[in-house]
Amino acid sequence: MTHHAQSRIGKWKLAVAAVATLWGPTAQAHHSFGKFDMARLVTVQGTVREWTWANPHTWLIVVVRRANGTTEQWSLVGSSPNMMSRWGWNAADIKPGDKLTIDIHPGRDGQTIGAMQTIFLANGKVLADPAGSTGQALAGGPSRLPTKPQGQPYK
Amino acid sequence: MIELTRSTGRTVAIRTVSGSLCSFAALMLVPQAAQAQDAAVPRTAEQQAATWQEIARQPDFWQGTWQSISPIADDFSKTPDYTPAALEYIKRYKPAEDSPFTNCKPLGMPFVQNIGGMPMKFFQSPGMIAVYIESSGMTRFIHTDGRKHSEQPNPSYLGESIGHWEGDTLVVDTTGLAADTIFQMGTLPASQLRDGDHSPLASVIFGKHGPNLRLVERLRLIDFNTLELQLTIYDDTIFKQPYSPVPRRFLRGIEQRNEPQEWACTDNRDYFDEATGKLEINVKDKAQGR
Repeated sequence: MTHHAQSRIGKWKLAVAAVATLWGPTAQAHHSFGKFDMARLVTVQGTVREWTWANPHTWLIVVVRRANGTTEQWSLVGSSPNMMSRWGWNAADIKPGDKLTIDIHPGRDGQTIGAMQTIFLANGKVLADPAGSTGQALAGGPSRLPTKPQGQPYK
Repeated sequence: MIELTRSTGRTVAIRTVSGSLCSFAALMLVPQAAQAQDAAVPRTAEQQAATWQEIARQPDFWQGTWQSISPIADDFSKTPDYTPAALEYIKRYKPAEDSPFTNCKPLGMPFVQNIGGMPMKFFQSPGMIAVYIESSGMTRFIHTDGRKHSEQPNPSYLGESIGHWEGDTLVVDTTGLAADTIFQMGTLPASQLRDGDHSPLASVIFGKHGPNLRLVERLRLIDFNTLELQLTIYDDTIFKQPYSPVPRRFLRGIEQRNEPQEWACTDNRDYFDEATGKLEINVKDKAQGR
C-alpha cells in the first residue's frame, strides 16, 4: 500500500468519525431536523437573493438555475449567528448577488428547503454550519473543513 | 393548597389564626434575618472591602464563560418514580417535532442552561450572583444575601433564585417558575424513536410542570475548566420523590470566541401548526414576529 493510499484511508476514517461525532447522541441543536433529510447531502449552486443574519436562525434564500433552464428558489436555514460567528462566519461574508456552492440537507417532502451544511464562497473561503456539533466542537471551532463540495450535485 | 383552605369558613379561620402566629414568629425572627442580610449587604466601605475579600476566597466561577458540553437533553436514564398521572401522560406521549425556539419564547429554567454553543457568564457583587444565559439573552439573579423565598413569587421564566455556599459548592434554590417554561420530565426509550430522526431532542419527553416546581442546583468546579451542575427537581405532580438527572458539565471558555454575545430573537420562521400538531417553517413570507 502506498503512503498516499494509506493517507487516503486515514482521511476517510476521519471523515466517518467526524460524521459519527456530528450526529452522535451528544449532538447539540436548537431547531428541529424533522423537516430535513439529514441522511442526504446535496450540492446546490445558486445566486443569493436574501441573507438574513438574525436569531434564532440565519436564512439564506438562493435562486438555483436547473439544467433544463428553469429557476427555483431555495430557502436554507442555518444555525444562530452566535454559534456561527464562533465558527468563523461573518455577516458580511455573503451579499445578495453572490454566487455560492452549498452542501445542504434537503427537505424531506420535496419542498425547495434545506439545512445548510457547508458553504463554498467564490473567493475560496469555506464556512461550516455548526448545527449538530458536540458541545466541545462548538466551544473549540470546526476541526476540519472540506475543500470541495461533498454532496450529490443538484441539476 | 390555598384553594382548599379557602373552601370553608372554618379552614379560613384556622388559616387566619395560623397566619397571625406565623407573622408573630416572623417578627421574632426579624432581628436574626436582618443580621444575616446585613452581613451580605455591606453599607460602609469597610464592610464592602471585607465582603469582597470573602468573595475572593470562593471558587472562581467568574473568569471566562461556561458552556454546556453535555447533550442538550437531560439524561433521565435512571427511571424516576413517577406519579400515576405522569405515567399516564408518558404512555400517551408522542415525540414532538418541536423546536424550543418556536415563537421566540424564552425557554425558562432549567432547560435554558442546556444548550451548547452559547455560553453562560457568571458575575458577582455583594449579595448577588448574576448569570447571563446567552441562549435566551436573559440574566438570572441569584440572591446570596440570606433572604427567604417570597411567599408567592410572581411567575417568571427563570424563577426566583436564592443561593448560598456549602464549602466549595454553590447551592441555588429556585421557585416561582412560569407554567409555560419548556420542561423535560423524562427520556423516551430508543425503541420508541422514529428511524433516521437525528434531532437530539427527539428522545425528550416534554410536559407541563406543576405549580410548585422547585429546582435545587449544586454547582462546583471539578477542575479548573469544568463546572458540574447537579440538578434536583421537586415536583410532586410528576415525581413521587425528588429527581436528579445525570449531572451536567460545562466547559470554561477563555478565548475571544467564548465571550458572551447578545441574543435578540427577532426572525423566527419556525412555528407550531395547531391544526397538524407539527412544526412548520414559514419560508414564503417574511419572518414571524415575536
